[in-house]
Amino acid sequence: MEILNVTGLHASYSSSGPEILKGIDFAVEDDDFFAIIGPSGAGKSTLIRCINRLVEPSKGTILFDGREVTRLPRRELRRLRRDIGVIFQEFNLIDRMSVMDNVLSGRLGYIGNFRTLFRAFPRSDIDQGLRLLDRVGLIDHVDKRADELSGGQRQRVGIARALMQNPKMLLLDEPTSALDPKISREIMGLVKQMATELNVPCLCNIHDVQLATEFCNKIIGLQDGYMMFNGPTEEMDEAKLNEIYAMEVL
Amino acid sequence: MSNQPSRIAGDVPIRWSRYKFPDTFLRYGAWLCVFVFLVYCVEYLNIPLDRLLGVFGRMGDIVANRYYPPDMEYIMDREYLDYVVETIQMAYLGALFGIGLTLPLGWFAAYNMTPSRRFIYPLARLITMSCRAVHEMIWAILFVSILGYGMLAGVLALTLFCTGFAGKLLAEEIEAIDMGPVEAMRSTGANLFQTMIFGVFPQIRVAFTGIAIYTWDVAFRAATVVGFFGAGGMGWYLKRNVLQIETERVAAILISILILVMISETVSAWARGKAMKMQ
Amino acid sequence: MNDEATAIRMTSDIILERRRKSRNVRLCVYLALTLLVAWSVQVTIIDDTDWERMGSLANVLEGANRFIGIDFSLFKDLVEPTIETFMIACLGTLLGVIICIPAAWFGAMNITPFKPITYPLARMMMTISRSIHEIVWALFFVAVVGLGALPGIFAIAVRSVGFIAKMSAEAIEDIDPGPVEAIRSVGGNNLQVLIYAILPQILPQVLGVIIFEWEINIRRSAILGLVGAGGLGLVFFRQMNTFNYHGVMTVIIAILGLILLGEAFSHWVRRKII
Repeated sequence: MEILNVTGLHASYSSSGPEILKGIDFAVEDDDFFAIIGPSGAGKSTLIRCINRLVEPSKGTILFDGREVTRLPRRELRRLRRDIGVIFQEFNLIDRMSVMDNVLSGRLGYIGNFRTLFRAFPRSDIDQGLRLLDRVGLIDHVDKRADELSGGQRQRVGIARALMQNPKMLLLDEPTSALDPKISREIMGLVKQMATELNVPCLCNIHDVQLATEFCNKIIGLQDGYMMFNGPTEEMDEAKLNEIYAMEVL
Repeated sequence: MSNQPSRIAGDVPIRWSRYKFPDTFLRYGAWLCVFVFLVYCVEYLNIPLDRLLGVFGRMGDIVANRYYPPDMEYIMDREYLDYVVETIQMAYLGALFGIGLTLPLGWFAAYNMTPSRRFIYPLARLITMSCRAVHEMIWAILFVSILGYGMLAGVLALTLFCTGFAGKLLAEEIEAIDMGPVEAMRSTGANLFQTMIFGVFPQIRVAFTGIAIYTWDVAFRAATVVGFFGAGGMGWYLKRNVLQIETERVAAILISILILVMISETVSAWARGKAMKMQ
Repeated sequence: MNDEATAIRMTSDIILERRRKSRNVRLCVYLALTLLVAWSVQVTIIDDTDWERMGSLANVLEGANRFIGIDFSLFKDLVEPTIETFMIACLGTLLGVIICIPAAWFGAMNITPFKPITYPLARMMMTISRSIHEIVWALFFVAVVGLGALPGIFAIAVRSVGFIAKMSAEAIEDIDPGPVEAIRSVGGNNLQVLIYAILPQILPQVLGVIIFEWEINIRRSAILGLVGAGGLGLVFFRQMNTFNYHGVMTVIIAILGLILLGEAFSHWVRRKII
C-alpha cells in the first residue's frame, strides 16, 4: 500500500529565488526504507522538508495517507506533522532540557496547552518514553541534560522522540552526517530495526551512498533539483551514480 | 498494519517521576520563599492592590486630558534650543572626561593587567564601583552643593557617572583578552606600559570604541535630567514646568527628549556599526 | 614590461595618495573634535560657572570637607527606608519583567505576531522606556497615583522594560532554529514551540539580564525618593535640606552598602545559572 505519493513537486525558498526542486515524482510503500541521494545542494533537505511542509512547496501534490498535504489548514497540518516523525541532521534537541523531556516532547502534538505549561504528560506517555529509551540504550541517562550526551547518544534521543509520536512514517534528514562512520552505521541499524519492528516506512535523505545501498531498498537520485534515478537499490550501479554525482566537484 | 499506531510492548524498565525528593522539594521551596517575600513586600509597602486597576484608567485619563496636546511651540523657542545645545555639550564633555579617566582606571581595575594586584587593583575597583553605585543624580546634588549651580557641576557628575559606567565595561573587556600577545610582549622585555600599548590596546580597540560611543549615549540620557537639581541643561526647564504644573509643556519637553535620544541612538548605532566594520 | 612597472607605480602612488587623504581626513576630524571640546568647555564651564561664589580652591575643599563624617544618630531612621528601597527595586523589577513578556514577544522579528504593526509598536515602547529618565517617570507617576512606594515601583518597572525587552528580543532573534523546527515537526502549536523550543534557549541569558537590571534598579530606587516616591532618597533629600552634611554622607554609605549587597547576590546567582 502506498503511504506517500509525490507528483510534480516544485519548491523554492522565496517566491523570487531560484527553484530548488524542479518536478519530483515518487511513491513510498508502507514497508519501504527509501533513500534520497545526491550531491550537496541538490535539494534533498528541501524535499524532506516539503513533505511535512517545513518548506512550502510551490507546485505539485503530496498525498500522505490519503491526505493532500499541500492544501491542509494549520490545524490539520499539525495533525499531519504528528503522524510524521522527523530525525534531524543536527539532532535539534532542546539542549537545556533533560533527555526524558526531550523524548516526551514527541508527544506534544497529542496534549493540550494546559498540560504543556506544566509539562504534565500522561502516565502512558511516560511509560512509553521509558520503554523507548530502554530500546535505544539510554535508560541510564534519563535525567541527564541533552547537551551532556555524545553525538551518537543525542541522535538516539532524536530517534526516540520521533518514535514517541507513533508516526506513520519517518523522515530522516541526513541523520548520520554529523556522526563518525562507525556510529553512523549503528544509528542506521537502530533506525532500521525499530522501523521494521514498528512497521514504519522511512524516507531517508542521505549523503553517503554506501550506507544508502546497505540499508535502503529503494533509491531516488537528485541532481540540482531534478530526479535522475528512481528505482530499487539493485538497479543502482556505478554509471548511474557517476551521472548523479557528475556535478559535484571533489 | 502501519495505519494502526504501533506501540512498543513490554514492561516499563524503571520507575521515573519528574519529582525527585530533595531537589524538586528544595526548588519549589525556594520559589515559595521568593513568592512569600514578594507578597510581604506588597504588604510592607502598603500598596493598595484594590485601587491598582483604577490607577490605569486614571493614568490614561490624565495623559489624555492634561498632557495632551503638547505645547510644541514652547520647545521651538530659541532659548530652549540653546539649552538643548548646552545639554548636548555637557553630555559630550562628561562622556569625554569620563572616558579619559576610564582609560587608566579600566586598566588598573583589570585583574590580569593591573600594575599591582594588592594595592592598585582594589583601589581602582573601589573607585569605579563607587562611581557606578552612586546615582548620577546624587553626584549632581553633591556637586551643586559644593560648586554652586551651573553646568560645571553637571559635567563633573556626568564625568563620574561615565567613569563608573565605562570603567567596569573596559575592565571586563581587558580581562577577556587573549594573553598570548601580552606574553610575547613581555618576553621581548617590554615594560608594563609598552605591553599595554602593543599587546593589549590593539585587542580592545574596537570594543573600546563601542564602549565610548555607548557611554556617550548613556551620558546624554542622564544629561537631560541632571539639570533637575540645578546642574545645568534642559533638566532645569523640566523641573520648572513640573513645579508650575504646566503639564502640556512638560509633555512637549518629554517629546523633545525622546526625539533627541532617538537621534543620538541612531547616530551611535551607526557609528558603532562603522567602528565594528573598521576592524 | 614597462607598462607593468608603471601600473605598479600607479597603484603605489594611489595607495600613498589615499593614505595621505585619509590622514588629512583624520586630522580634520581631530581638529573638529578639539574645537568642539574647547567650545563646550567655554560655554559650559567657563561662562556658566559662578566663579565668585565658588571662591578659591580652599573654599571648594572646605565645601567638600563638610561632607566627611558620619551621623550615627541617623542609623535607626535608615533601617526602614533601606528595606523600602530594596523592596521597591524588587517589585519594580518584577513588574517590569511582567510587562516585558509581551514587549519581547512583539519585538522579536522572528516571532512577532503581525510584523507591520506589532514590531514597530514594541520597538517604540522600548525606546520610550529607555530614553526617559527614571526621575521623570517617577514624577509622572507621582502625579498620577500620589506619593508613596507605588509610583516608585511603576517608575522602575517602566524604566527597566526597555533594556530587558530589548535584550530578550535579541536573544529570541538569535536562537537556534533547529529545536523550533523539531517541535513544529512533532505537530506542536505556537505555545508549545514557545515553551519547548524558545524559552529553554533564552532563559539563562534573560535571567542574567533581569538580575543585572535588578542590581541597577536598587541604585535607581535609592534616588526616587528625591521626587517623593519613597525609600532612601527621601531621607537624603531631608538631610540635604536641613544642611546635615554628615547625615547626607551616612545615607550615601547606606546606599553603597545596599548596592554592594545586591552586587554580591547577583554575582552569586549569575554564577549559579551559568
